[in-house]
Order: sequence, then C-alpha cells, then structure tokens
Amino acid sequence: MASKPVAGYGGVIILLVMKPRVDFEVNVEAEITPELAAKPFEEIKQFKVYYGNRLVPLEELFEIEKKGDDEILILEGDFSRVKWIGKSMEKGEVVIKGDIGAHCGAFMKGGKITVEGNADDWLGAEMEGGEIAVRGNTGNLVACPYWGNLKGMKGGRITVYGNAGNYIGEKMCGGEIEIRGDAGDFVGTEMKDGKITIHGNCGYVGGDMKGGEIFIGGSFEVVPAFIKTDDGFIGDVNVKGKGKVKALK
Amino acid sequence: MRNAICTFCGNACDDIEFDGFVGKNLCPLGEAKFSAKQRIEGPVVNGERVSYEEAIDRAVEILVNAKRPLLYGFASTVNEAIRLGVILAEKLGGIYDQCSSVCHAPSTLAMIEEGIPGGTLGQAKNRADVVVFWGCNPVEAHPRHPSRYSVMAKGFLTKGRQYRHVIVVDVRKTATAYLATEFYQVKPGYDYAIFSALRSIINGHEDAVPDEVGGVSREKLKEFADILVNGKYGVIFYGLGLTHTRGSDRSVENLVKLVQTLNRHTRYIIQPMRGHFNVVGASAVAAWEAGYEYAIDFSRGHSRFFPSEFTAVEALIRRDCDAALIIASDPAAHFPKRAVERLTEIPVIQIDPHPNITTLIADIVIPSALVGIEAEGTIYRMDGIPLRVKKFKETEYWSDYEILKLMLDKVIRLKGE
Amino acid sequence: MALQIKNGIVVDPKNGISGEKMDIFIKDGKIVEEVKKNCRVIDATGKLVVAGGIDLHAHIAGCKINTGRAMRPEEMRFVRRKSNGLRAAVGRTLLTSPAIGYEYAKMGYTTAVDPATPSLYVIHTHEELDSIPIIDKATLPLFGNWHQVMRYSADKDIEKLKSFVAWVLERTKGYGVKLVNPGGVEAWMYGGNVHTLDDAVPGFGVTPREIITSLIAAVEELNLPHSAHIHCNNLGMPGNYETTMETIKLAKGFENRDRQVLHVTHVQFNAYTGSSWRDIGSGAEEIAKLVNRIESVTIDMGQPIFGHATTMTADCPWQFELHKLAKAKWCNRDIELETGGGIVPYVYRAKNAVNSVQWATGLELGLLVDADKIAISTDYPNGGPFNSYPYIATLLMSKKFRDEEMKKAHPYIEKATSLPSIDAERTIEDIVKMTRVTPARVLGMKNKGHLGTGADGDVAVYDINPMDYNSSNFQAILKALKNPLYTIKSGEIVVKDGDVVSEVWGRTYWVDVRDKTTTELIERDLEEYFNYYTVNRENYGVEERWLQNPLRVMAG
Ligand code: SF4
Ligand SMILES: [Zn+2]
Repeated sequence: MASKPVAGYGGVIILLVMKPRVDFEVNVEAEITPELAAKPFEEIKQFKVYYGNRLVPLEELFEIEKKGDDEILILEGDFSRVKWIGKSMEKGEVVIKGDIGAHCGAFMKGGKITVEGNADDWLGAEMEGGEIAVRGNTGNLVACPYWGNLKGMKGGRITVYGNAGNYIGEKMCGGEIEIRGDAGDFVGTEMKDGKITIHGNCGYVGGDMKGGEIFIGGSFEVVPAFIKTDDGFIGDVNVKGKGKVKALK
Repeated sequence: MRNAICTFCGNACDDIEFDGFVGKNLCPLGEAKFSAKQRIEGPVVNGERVSYEEAIDRAVEILVNAKRPLLYGFASTVNEAIRLGVILAEKLGGIYDQCSSVCHAPSTLAMIEEGIPGGTLGQAKNRADVVVFWGCNPVEAHPRHPSRYSVMAKGFLTKGRQYRHVIVVDVRKTATAYLATEFYQVKPGYDYAIFSALRSIINGHEDAVPDEVGGVSREKLKEFADILVNGKYGVIFYGLGLTHTRGSDRSVENLVKLVQTLNRHTRYIIQPMRGHFNVVGASAVAAWEAGYEYAIDFSRGHSRFFPSEFTAVEALIRRDCDAALIIASDPAAHFPKRAVERLTEIPVIQIDPHPNITTLIADIVIPSALVGIEAEGTIYRMDGIPLRVKKFKETEYWSDYEILKLMLDKVIRLKGE
Repeated sequence: MALQIKNGIVVDPKNGISGEKMDIFIKDGKIVEEVKKNCRVIDATGKLVVAGGIDLHAHIAGCKINTGRAMRPEEMRFVRRKSNGLRAAVGRTLLTSPAIGYEYAKMGYTTAVDPATPSLYVIHTHEELDSIPIIDKATLPLFGNWHQVMRYSADKDIEKLKSFVAWVLERTKGYGVKLVNPGGVEAWMYGGNVHTLDDAVPGFGVTPREIITSLIAAVEELNLPHSAHIHCNNLGMPGNYETTMETIKLAKGFENRDRQVLHVTHVQFNAYTGSSWRDIGSGAEEIAKLVNRIESVTIDMGQPIFGHATTMTADCPWQFELHKLAKAKWCNRDIELETGGGIVPYVYRAKNAVNSVQWATGLELGLLVDADKIAISTDYPNGGPFNSYPYIATLLMSKKFRDEEMKKAHPYIEKATSLPSIDAERTIEDIVKMTRVTPARVLGMKNKGHLGTGADGDVAVYDINPMDYNSSNFQAILKALKNPLYTIKSGEIVVKDGDVVSEVWGRTYWVDVRDKTTTELIERDLEEYFNYYTVNRENYGVEERWLQNPLRVMAG
C-alpha cells in the first residue's frame, strides 16, 4: 500500500513504491536511483539486483507499485538489509519510510534522500552534491572516502537528527554535515575543507586536519596538536593545518 | 627432525628439534601446541562417520547452493592450502576472510592510509639501539621474541641487551615491562592522542600539547620523544593493545605517521606482533590472487574489499552469509555472541585437526593433518619472511591442501566451468 | 597437437627474415621445420607473425608488488575482461597474479623476468611466479647491498664472490645478478645514501664503483647467461645522467662474445641533466651516443606513462625522497644485511613539466639507441602498466602519433629535450628487436626471441602487414598491437582476437653454476654470517621441488 503523500509534493502521488516481499536469506545490493521510477513498469520489474551471488529481478524480492512517471522512489518497510540505494544518483528523490542499509547515497551528485528510520554505515560516502536527511541514527563512516581514496565528501549536505557512529567526514573537501545528536570518535580526520556540526558530544576531533571548520555543542576531545585561540582551536600543527574547531554557540 | 619450524605464534622459530612429539627449543606455548592432543577421528556428516570423499561431496553441495558462503580461518595452515581457499571462494561467489580480521586488520587499514615503514626482525636483532613495545607483551604472547629478535638478541652491530634502550608502553605493568629500561603507563584509549602529542613535540609544537595526555605528563612525553629521536635505529613493535583499542585503525595510522616523522630525523621501523604462525600468509596469498588481504567478497565473480561488511564477524552479524566453511580456526569460541548465533543457524563445515567449540555446531567435520608435522608447506613469519614447514610423520589424515583441492575440483566440475 | 601458422608474413630478425611469407610449425612446444599430419592450421595470410614478446624487467612478483596491492585497494577495483572458466582478473596498474599472466598474453608476450627479489623473501617470489599463468618467468636476486658482497668487494676477493654468487643463485633459484643503488641502501640504514661512484659505504669503506666492477667480474668469470643488471645510483635526481654515464663506462673493462657485460635498466629514470627540479632536462642524447659506442652495454627504456603508477624498488632512500616529494603514503622494508625495499604511489601528469621531461626522455632513448641495444620497458609498475607497450611501440613507429601525444605534454619539453626534433620512425623490424630479439639476447635465453628451428613455440600474430602499413595511421597500428589475432604459448593457443581463451603454465628459469666454483671457499663466512640471521641456514632458500615447473640452466 502506498503511503501518505510525500511532503513538498503538493499532494500529487506520482512515484514508485517498493516493499520487501521475502525475508532475505542474505543481504541485497540494489543500486537503484530515482531514475528507475521513470522507466516502463516491465523494465522496472526486471531490473537486476544482487542477491548474494545471484542476479535477480527486482520483483522477485520486492512488491512494486508504480504511480506516474516522476523520479520519486518510496521504500516502505525494512530496508536495513538493502544496500547501495541512491548510489551515484543525480536527481530526483528517494524517501525511505523505515531503516536503510549501508552505502545509501554513496557518490551522490544531486537530488534528495530522506530516511525516516536509521541508516547504516557509509551514508553519503564520497558524496558530491544533493541532500540527505536521516530522522534516526546512522552507523559509522558518514561521508567518508572508500579505502585508499584521497578525497571524502566534496559537496552537498547531510543532516542526521539522531546520533552518528565513528568516523565522520574523513578527508572531507567540501559540503556540510550536521549531526543533531551525539557522534563517535574521529570527526573530520584529515579534513581539508567544508563544515561539520555536532550538536551533542563526540570523541576525538580534527586529527591531521588541514582546513575546514568543525563546530561542537557538547563535550569533545581535540587531539594534542591544536593551538588554542580566542574562540576555539586551530590545527593540526603536524600537517601545518589551518582547520578550526569551535564550540557551537 | 632438526631445524623444524614451530607452528604456533608469529615468531615461527625455525630451530626446533623434534623427536616424535617432543620438541627441543620450544617455549611453553609451543610445547602446549605440540603436545599430543585429541584428534578428530574421521570425517563426519550430521553425526555420522563417512569417507573423506563423501564428506567433501556433501560439503560441496552446501557450498554451491549457498547464496554467499563464508570461507574463514586460514591463519593456521600453509599458503598452498590458502591459495586454494581463495580460488574456491572466487569460484563459489562467496567470502574469503581470515583471522587477521579479528586481530591485525587495523594494521592493514592503516597501511592503506599511510603505508608501513617496516623491516625484518633481523633489523631489531642486528641494528636496533631503541626497541619499543607498544601495547604488546611478548614475554607472554611471543615468549622467544626477546631473546631471538629484540631485547637480548646478539646482533651484528648491536651486540646485546646493554646496547639497547628498551621501552614498554602499556595500560598496565606487563611481564615485558620488567625487561624495559623505561615503562610508560597510559590510560586505555589514549594511544592515538599520545602519538599526536609525540609528533607535535618532535615537530617543534610543544605548545599544542596540554600538561597531560592519556595519563602521561608533558615532561614525560618530552623525555620519551627525546629518547626516540636520539636512537640511531629504532624498532617499534605493537600489538593487540593498540589494534583492539579505541579507534584502532586510526591509532595504528597515527603511529605510522609518528614513524614517518621520526625517519626525518633518524631511522625507525615498525612491526606488528602477529599472532598465528601464518596469519601473514593468509593475507599475502589473498593479495596476489585477489588483490586484497581479507574481507573479500566474490559474489560478483571478482573480488571486492569491504571490511565493514565482509569480515566473518560482520557478515555473520549482518546475516549476509548463508553457509560457512571454517578452516583451522575456532570462531564459535572467539566470535561475538551475535555472530556465533548466526553460525548456529546456517550450515557449517569444519576442517581442523582437533575438535573445538566450532566442532559442536558444525554439520560436516573433516579432520586434517597437522601442519608442520604431518603436512608441509610455506608459511610467513610475522615480518613476512617465508619459511617452509616440514612433514616428518606419516598419517592417514588428508592435508588441508588435499581436502581443498578435491573440493575445488568438484566445485569447478559442478559449475561447468 | 601440432600447429601450423600458415601464410603469415614472418619477421624474425635473428634469423635474417624480415617480412617473408612463410609457414611456422610447432610441435611439442618447439618450433620445427615442418609437420606433415595431425596438425591444427591457423590462417595468418597477410598478417604479421613474430616470436612471443619478452619483458626483461617487470616487478611482477614478490613482497614488493604484493605489499603494493595490499596498500592500494584503490588500484585493485578495476575489473578486467576474461573468458569464462578462467580466473577473475582485477587491477588498474597493479594487477593480481592471474591478471598479470592474462595481460601479457593479451599483447602477445610470453616471457617476463622479475628483476629484484630480496633473497630472504625468495620463496614468496616463487610462490607468486607460480601463480602467474601462461608466461615463462625468472627472478633476479638483489646483490648490490649485501654485506657479504660488500665485504668481498672491499677485499677484492673475486673468487669468494664467485662462490657466493653461485651459492645464492642455487639457494634462490635465481636467474642472474641484480644491483640496485649499490651501497646506497646500506647507507639508508643510517638515513643516508651514496651520491657518486666513489662515495664510501658506511661501515665497509667500499665504493659503488668497486661493488659494481667486482660483481661484473664474478658474473663474467662464471659466464652466467645474463650479465650484471644494474639500477644505477642517484635514480630520479636531476643531473644523474653523469653517474649513469660513468657506470656505463665501467663495462669497458670487460668483454663477452655472446652478450653485453652490463645491462643498465630503466635508464630514463637515470638520464636527467640539470641541478634542480627547475632546470631538469634530458641527457638521453649523450647517453644514447655512449651506449651505441660501447659494445658491451645494453639498456631498457623505463618509459613512464601518463597516469597512475606505483613506484617500488629496493632503492629505499629514493623511495623515502619520493614519499616526501609526492606527499604520498610510503611502505619501506629494511631487510637485514641484504637489501631493502620501498613503495610509493605516483601519478605522472602530462601537465607537469618534470613528468613531461621524463616521458620525452624515455622516448628519446627508444628512438636514438640502436634497436639491438635497447628493450622496451616501463619498469612495471614504476613507470606505469606493462600493457602500455603497444602504446610505446606505436609512439616509436609513428611521428604523427608522437606529435599528437606531445601536444598533451608540458611545453617545457621543447626546451629541455630533443624529442620534438626527432623525426625518426622505428620499423616493425626494430620493434620486434626491441621486444623480442634484444631482450632474449640480453637475458641469454637462446630459445627465445626468434622462430628458428628448436626455438620455444611462443608466437604472436598481429593484424598488420609489415610490408604494407602506413605509419601515420597510428590508430590501426595501436589496435593491431593491442589485440593480437593469436598468442601461442608452447604451441597452445592462449589468446584469440585479443581475448584470453585458455590457460597454460609456463616455466621458471634458474641458473646453476655450482660446478664453476666451490662453496668451500665461503663455508666459514656463511657459518659466521648465519649467526646474525634470524633464519637458520638450513631453512634459507628454496628447493627445486617446491617450484611448479622449474627449468635449470647450466651456465657456460
Ligand atoms: S616463541 Fe612462538 S614460534 Fe617460538 S617456540 Fe614459542 S610459540 Fe613457537
Ligand atoms: Zn625495476
């Protein structure tokens, strides 16, 4: 059953609704973007996703309902075991009514993702543009670069209304991350540019930071490589960094 | 058998003399490993004794039908068997993971960030005038390390204990700390901050260091930095105290950065104190066959590396594998509760010489020959130096290699490739 | 089954055949005169037929490339095409072992030599070589910073050195003698380096010059199939071409009827004029003149390719410099009393003046040095991927292609190198020499690099007619060289139309010269020396039976 109209869409329901149909035996890797919603229904049903080592059509795992041709994707139910939703998306909108699996919005360039539940690790990894909002909590590695890559988030905005795990905005080069709750360790490690705001408490902040700004509302631990200034800290001195860590006013 | 290799810890001492099961030169840990232990008598499927061929047939059936089988263990077998394990995972579209993922995986992640300025154990023996043990306790975990390689070793240029400055950094006064010239007790979870503080001091930014970091006063830290910089050739050994602490991979990475800094002033290398005798081989073989060291998923036919999802523990907790092949390891005894719960839900195949907790939950149990006594092959010591473990006792048991070879042949035949 | 390659246009310079229509027959893995029946026939009408390619210097196995893989997951995410039933093959410039074998075969190559193995890690090197499908291979152990070698060189004791070389080659199942920054790696153990051939190595008093000449003397007296193979001092530094020229001249004192006495590797990295990064230029012209003049020296290019690379050499002090210069991650391994190794990721940028000079310098060498004195190489993966050899060959063959590519490079090369003024174009015969004949002769592999009776049945067939092609149609040349119609290894078709279709397993060559000397000479030294090792003498090295497919070569 399709749900209430999406906020901001004037009550017109034109979208693709998906719901898990089975209890997954292993997790699903579904590299789906809102563009799929604009495709013919048959094509949508046959769209292939990875189910362990099998490639299966979407309809084998999900109930799908299509209403209109707009690029809006609504995921209903528990998607916590579905990964890579919104990977590299450029436009359109994804609304997740429950929890979402890892890598949601990775490499995202534009458009909007709303998660009404919790998100797993790698939310908005290496994101370049667009917007992600999570009502619940997120796992680790928010907006981080994948292993070995030199640049993290480059643009766009991520808002998490709950808490976030460890590693946030590593090697960040632009864009904004806001965590309304608490965060874990290693915020803005090797950050080069952009802005991170943590409203609650967090652990280590700013290790090897070269630039950018971090604002924190609660308690935190700045690494012992920052110089105290009138309104916060500047560092990391070990990389001749000019990053700023300040208390959130 | 002379010059045999002890197949217990990452030291891989290669001067063991065997006379039956009694080994000369073994330390107590090695002795315990080689003392006669209970063996799995024969292949078992669902409680019934069967032949090796039948057990392998049944195992293969489970594995090819799985959507993502997990292949885990490998750190206590030889490279030849590990190689087949990696290829088997590839052909099955499953996961290859090995014991590193629960011990020194943070070292791999740190290497991915910054590299590893390392060297052989012989460098500690022959050249080091400063030896640091950070979060490791060789006296208890690698008993012959101090005498063979580090603290007391008589080297080419550094002739013995009196020429070495030995420093121990740990959260409590360990047995190794009693061998040290200096002992620094730190607060748990503050290694990362201490590395940054030492870097700040060496880089001339004392002003960035508060009066106390992680329970160590700034004065003490300055003294420590001084000792480090004044060494001619230093070796920093680190262990699970660092890789299992808060922010483990970033902590190791920060240690690497400290060593990079030290190399701008003098010479330093670091060396992880690896546990199992071939955990390095289990990483290396996978790297040349598949490009990564652990947490490798082949579900798409080629290798992908996602340590946040495809380590054995994560794959189990995330319910992302639906069968498991466990080789020379005991995850049921060592994994977190939620991971073990998942293990009990899925079909488990075990290959091991000895029964252990995992045997109790395994559907198929295949006994194997004892590596280094009944089966030969190549292993890598903690510093990656390859050694050949020997076979000097005949046995009816199949080796890991033979078991995996038949499995792989059958899988290839079934898949029609 | 036997194989007949019918009606191809054969270019086989070693046997004086330069573009003749003829048939090639292979039986039991070897080229034969003729096979009358039971013969599979490949139609090669109007196509180029040549011996399989040989790479005499590519870091394809061992702890260096493998640490590189582990440290660079960003390199491994590229998935390569392969046929069903074969192994998965991944990697951008760093490749997995299966991918290495496949990618060589995919450009018509059938042999490659790993040029630098630390002896303490040699079992690992052989394990990896044994995991590379299709090609024949060999490995060269590192000698230039070994305490034993420096001691014997200081004592001028060539007899002991010979004995030591023979002992090491047998223990490592090695193929020849490699030197990397002789003396410099030992100096690095104290944070230093050596800068001229006459700097004393700390603790030994010996000089790089003495280490080099002693090892050449030992290799020549043992008459190894391959000469001493050197990575010169001062690699990578502006002005280093002078050191390289002096090193080349050291070969003058020696003579060998069959081959060079010194192979100087990846010369591009050692061919710079200037005194800083600001005035760096190419010394290729002068080096080329010298190499062409001195009978007993050969070189390989070490061509950098714009794009990603991973530098890895035993030259630890240079790798540390590069780590600081490139601000990139850095692996180092100091290997007790023997050698060392370092790894640093690198990107060659066309927009960068220094990188462009490097690119142009390599090509100058490729154009100016006699084709029977230079081999194509990228010093894989230091200069970039080996599967760019078709690209390099095409650049050498087509002035038009060079002009196109030069437009992408930094204009500084007009001032700093002579490349823009070189109009010469290599012929197909030249390229066959630089990729087959010359490397085979340099390595002393008599059954390779040609198609005469008795040669290995390794053949490549390309979609180009050597008698009738247009050098300005470089796209066609590149396409042909990149996608062989057939690659045949030991008589088996392994590549068809540019794709790997089947897998065979090659051999590992090693050299046994124990009968030319006696270990007795060094017995006591070895005993003493193993006191300082952390591995027992009995556990040092590799036994022949541990290798999958060893081929023992007796020298002399
Ligand atoms: S130190 Fe380790 S390798 Fe050596 S004997 Fe003891 S357990 Fe075995
Ligand atoms: Zn090289």
